[in-house]
Amino acid sequence: MSEREMEELKKLLKESMPAMRDAELRRDLWPAMQQRLAEPAIRMPWWDWALLAAAAVVILLFPTMIPALLYHL
Amino acid sequence: MNKHPFVRAYLAGIAIPTVVLLLVMTGYTIIRYVYDIPVPIEKVIVFPMAAVPNAWGLWNVLYLAFLARRHFSLGLFGGALPLLLAPGGYMVTRLLGFAVPHEVYHIAPFALPVGLIVYYLVWKYFVGFLNAELGIA
Repeated sequence: MSEREMEELKKLLKESMPAMRDAELRRDLWPAMQQRLAEPAIRMPWWDWALLAAAAVVILLFPTMIPALLYHL
Repeated sequence: MNKHPFVRAYLAGIAIPTVVLLLVMTGYTIIRYVYDIPVPIEKVIVFPMAAVPNAWGLWNVLYLAFLARRHFSLGLFGGALPLLLAPGGYMVTRLLGFAVPHEVYHIAPFALPVGLIVYYLVWKYFVGFLNAELGIA
């Protein structure tokens, strides 16, 4: 490829890929990322624990319902 | 990542029942064919195999389409799904002439609230997690 062809190719590439405008971020994303990393993976409130315990107790009292539950899951 | 959110919602919805079905069917196959225990649910297995996962997927699509923007609880919405699935499952057993053991009718008043609780928790934590991972939470 000659020097002239290389220059033409560069010119065509520059034309086909215009320079990005506003390439800089408008705000710093790192603090939000740090906050998200610091959060616990799962926060389960006490009423969900209570519901889970109640369901477990009923299933233990009536184990015959397990197949019926699995049938609908 | 913003493309096809309803497809991602559908896939997130069907993931949990598909995995559970695999585990349940493995256990059932062992019980039925290895230990020869007569539990002939082959006739009605179409309901958990086909209807339930699709219902989960479509339920999640409905949530994303109508309720996610209003910040309605995913757990409460998912917890309401057994109110459709329980009659649907019963209807399938009746249509296919499957004899449901009488014990099932006796425990139904307890099983339905337990089902609602299980669905509420699974939707809130597991489907919610998948929705967040797929960027549609």
